[in-house]
Amino acid sequence: MKIKNKLKVYESYLNNESKDLTVQVSPPVKQLEIPNLEQWQMRGVQPYILGDEYCLVKERRYPLLEKRGMYSFQDYIRAIEAWQHTDFQHPLSAKGYKPTDLFFFDTETTGLGGGVGNTIFLIGYAYVEGEEVVVRQHLLPEPGFEIPLYDSFLRSVDYTTLVTYNGKAFDWPQVKTRHTLIREHVPKLPAFGHFDLLHAARRLWKNELESVKLSIVEEEILGIERTDDVPGYLAPIIYFDFIETKHLDGIVKVMEHNEDDILSLLILYTHISFQLLGLDQQQSKSEMLSVGHWYSSINETNKAIQILEDALENHDGKDKWKGMLELSYQYKKLKKIDQAFACWQQIIEKGMGKIKIEACIEAAKYFEHHEKNYLLALNSAKQAFTEFKKIEQMTGISIPKQEAEIKKRLLRLEKKVDDC
Amino acid sequence: MLRKQSLTEIINWLKNTNDINLNIKHWETIPSKQASTVPIPERLHPNLKQALINRGITSLYSHQKTAFEFGIASQDFTAVTPTASGKTLCYNLPVLQSIIENPDARALYMFPTKALSNDQKSELNELIEEAEVNINSYTYDGDTPANIRQKIRKAGHIVITNPDMLHSGILPHHTKWVSLFENLKYVIIDELHIYRGVFGSHTANVLRRLKRICQFYGSDPVFICTSATIANPQQLAETLTGNKMRLIDKNGAPSGKKHFVFYNPPIVNKSLNVRKSASLEVRRLAGEFLKNKIQTIVFARSRVRVEIILTYLQELVKGKIGPKAIRGYRGGYLPTERREIEKGLREGEIYGVVSTNALELGVDIGQLQVCIMTGYPGTIASAWQQAGRAGRRHGEALIMYVASSSPLDQYVISHPEYFFKQSPEVARINPDNLIILVDHVKCAAYELPFEKGETFGGIDMEDILEYLIDQKVLVFSGKKYHWMNDSFPAHNISLRSASQENVVIIDQSDIANVKVIGEMDTFSALTLLHDEAIYLHQGTQFQVEKLDWEEKKAFVREVQVDYYTDANLAVQLKVLEVDKERNTRQATIQYGDVAVQAMATIFKKIKFETHENIGSGPIHLPEQILHTTATWISLQQEFAEIGEERLEDGLMGVTHAMKNIVPMFVMSDPSDVHVVPQVKSSHNNKPTIFLYDRYPGGVGLSDEIYEKIEQILTESKNIINNCHCEYGCPSCIGTDVTTKTGKKDALLLLDYFIHASKHTEMKA
Repeated sequence: MKIKNKLKVYESYLNNESKDLTVQVSPPVKQLEIPNLEQWQMRGVQPYILGDEYCLVKERRYPLLEKRGMYSFQDYIRAIEAWQHTDFQHPLSAKGYKPTDLFFFDTETTGLGGGVGNTIFLIGYAYVEGEEVVVRQHLLPEPGFEIPLYDSFLRSVDYTTLVTYNGKAFDWPQVKTRHTLIREHVPKLPAFGHFDLLHAARRLWKNELESVKLSIVEEEILGIERTDDVPGYLAPIIYFDFIETKHLDGIVKVMEHNEDDILSLLILYTHISFQLLGLDQQQSKSEMLSVGHWYSSINETNKAIQILEDALENHDGKDKWKGMLELSYQYKKLKKIDQAFACWQQIIEKGMGKIKIEACIEAAKYFEHHEKNYLLALNSAKQAFTEFKKIEQMTGISIPKQEAEIKKRLLRLEKKVDDC
Repeated sequence: MLRKQSLTEIINWLKNTNDINLNIKHWETIPSKQASTVPIPERLHPNLKQALINRGITSLYSHQKTAFEFGIASQDFTAVTPTASGKTLCYNLPVLQSIIENPDARALYMFPTKALSNDQKSELNELIEEAEVNINSYTYDGDTPANIRQKIRKAGHIVITNPDMLHSGILPHHTKWVSLFENLKYVIIDELHIYRGVFGSHTANVLRRLKRICQFYGSDPVFICTSATIANPQQLAETLTGNKMRLIDKNGAPSGKKHFVFYNPPIVNKSLNVRKSASLEVRRLAGEFLKNKIQTIVFARSRVRVEIILTYLQELVKGKIGPKAIRGYRGGYLPTERREIEKGLREGEIYGVVSTNALELGVDIGQLQVCIMTGYPGTIASAWQQAGRAGRRHGEALIMYVASSSPLDQYVISHPEYFFKQSPEVARINPDNLIILVDHVKCAAYELPFEKGETFGGIDMEDILEYLIDQKVLVFSGKKYHWMNDSFPAHNISLRSASQENVVIIDQSDIANVKVIGEMDTFSALTLLHDEAIYLHQGTQFQVEKLDWEEKKAFVREVQVDYYTDANLAVQLKVLEVDKERNTRQATIQYGDVAVQAMATIFKKIKFETHENIGSGPIHLPEQILHTTATWISLQQEFAEIGEERLEDGLMGVTHAMKNIVPMFVMSDPSDVHVVPQVKSSHNNKPTIFLYDRYPGGVGLSDEIYEKIEQILTESKNIINNCHCEYGCPSCIGTDVTTKTGKKDALLLLDYFIHASKHTEMKA
């Protein structure tokens, strides 16, 4: 049987990919002929030509005074400014950077997940230049034209730090992957610093939002409303349609979507900086606590104490005791043991659950090692055990390891009490 | 019996016990063999040499030295290495030497299973440590933790993996492996003989993709293969890798004395020619060994058989040795369970294991003393692999072949020379099977765009690439075919079976603790996991309460019954196209594409021990359609004189005999080739016998049958002719034949078929 016929007979066994796309073969480009060039140019898009291939580049500028949600781009300049006056480390710190050093980056691809065959068809980024925010986008007009795409991109970026949303795990590795395929024909990839705001969003709003997808953060936290937005998951199908028909309508919407994402990144970085630096007047106590936890996790103890103390003042949310426990550990680290002890006492008195068990254990350690009062230590440990059993009964979940630890402590303390 | 007997005493017991030695049809003693050794080569790095000496190796076997020389000279080669012949040094020495000489060099080791990878990594790392050289070797598979993956990609000199991981975890991400692919010097393929049939055909395409990526990064690795004894190791390696191969088949390793005993159970029903059940005989023999704590491995042909024998043995030696000391081992057990059994065998805590061919592979279970094969394993290569499990390098070993009543088994037991003298089977693969090929062309296009005019494995790709454009997965642009789809093709393609979807087996005996105990491919599930089927797992019986076909889940509950179940499959066939044809006045032999419709119809309940039918029930499962390749032979003759009924029985008898003989001529499992008779074929209205590949598109088995049909027919005739029964029995023409003339008619038809094929031979 001829292969053509065989393909028909065996069609049902061939793992066919989704067929609802309407892509056809595009004829090879003989001479450089750019379809719908006039329409593109009317929309501010210019071709970038390299040999007999090209890509499309769009540039748009916004004044710094333009508002977007609750901020204007001017606030970004303020945020960078504010970082200069800090005396602590933070992974998102822009200390030593100028506003023009950061570039806000996002891509659109033909599929999900990593893998060589997932093509980046749109590279977009924004940066500040003078009194303006510039958004530039590089669009791949034909699957084979990646050399002009990356060439145009790499020759126009000259910044120190990349700001993305999940770019550490996805966008940038994917850029590296596709770049590897054509690395002999294009400039090297520069080494950038990288702020990935997804991690920040998780730290700050994981508990408040149903998900920390950029669109949700944008709407719920930044107060930005989009009209007429194309959802990101449709981007591949729209792109496949574009390379078949060369019609602008759909792909232009995807470019707008990408532009919106990038501009939101700029606002999001501004907002997160304001959160971290205490510049947001609207900041909730819960957000403050999250910031405090963040500082303590990166060993900025003094900063953590300052923020946690502020946050706990007049705060009565359910995250209060967790915050106080964190604060106690920061005190303990600085050997301010009495202040730490005061926290534990409060938690033991009013708190409950896992937090309370931890506070009891800490109090027991304090009594045992610091005060050498074994009886009080034993009492605290017993309190921990009572609370442990209470949780076990309520939830029906037993944690044998923790139980054994508490029991071990009880035994040791009992022995010490007996020995006295 | 007061004290434990030694193996020598047990051997004497076999010889001197009357009701046993009467059943022994052949006793072959293979003498021990001296080693052929040569000094360690001068070229070998002193550290490596010292490492060998530290491990007690002061000289090499002759084949190891040849392998070292070929490997160092960048010569692709295939070494035939029986069990325990020191095969790992055949590739480890040239690879380590090369990396010491050039620390940038990289090697990729491929083992068919994860278990083998782990064994090899430990062995390799011991050697590296002993040699005190700075070489990193890692396994990279589904179990590799995410945090060390990046390090392996960048700095692993030797990456140990399996074809599945290469297919879906490495090649589609080749840009993360630049330092490996730029410097890939060696690709090692161990257990070459496993890569046959569907799995081999898939793997050949994975290697085509690997080579394509290597070419992109400018490397051209040397392929080194090691194989068990098969008829065509060199050809298989060349088809699999696409490279010319040198062959090393002179083995220098020593081996201990081996007793090969052919045991035929006594006839219990003369008129029906029914023999005592092989499983029951194995129970008695293995029981005797196990009671004396002689480590024994029992091989059985099917999963069901494994479980039945396991149940027998656990019952028999209960109280003498703990129940945990005898275990089952087969596909469908979870990996952790398997690892535990392997370890138990190595460390001697487990005395007995009952296994399917899953333990033929080089999984390290140490040296056992006795191997029992319940029935012929289907191929000579497989039989030698199984036999190799007993007495690996030194010391005496006993291998017993216990025949069942099946014609193939009876044929082998009465022709020991077939086993000891004949060359083993040919391993077949068909990398150009269209379905498999197209799957991998997609993966390859995902990995790197195809250029216009580019070939893949030497095949012109234009038709396939055009087809994929029609399917909206590729776009042609700028002289290249680009992947333009949002899917990840490797995830939809499994190397191991026709469909990736397996039926999961869920034990709900304990409602509070419902758990998954295994899985099975969908085609097997039709006959093994239908509603009310008895499914055996580790000797425990489960009844299938519900098979949810849509969701591919079988819900089972533990039961204790005295029967097992056996299901019937009804089959219809339609010829789609004829590709090859040989014609005579008597018959037509054709080869081509067919559509097979299969439906599970009823199941029978068969009582243990007596094997009587004690009930049956219907099976309600959707029909499965299979498109594949087939060879069929049709008679021109009308046969009006014997009538349709006798014709049907005659054909059925011929079919039964052929079904059993085919696996001897094409290296395959009996279930890989199906044989179906039609009194009036829907194709040409003639009496016809079809032989078809079980895998969609075929993997070359029916092609081989087309070439060898004469021999297959002649041997089928011999089976029936040499059978002592009068009117036909399960050993020759099977039990579905009801007329007394069945045997005679089968022989008559075979004469026509043979005559027909001989005629064509002359014509051809």
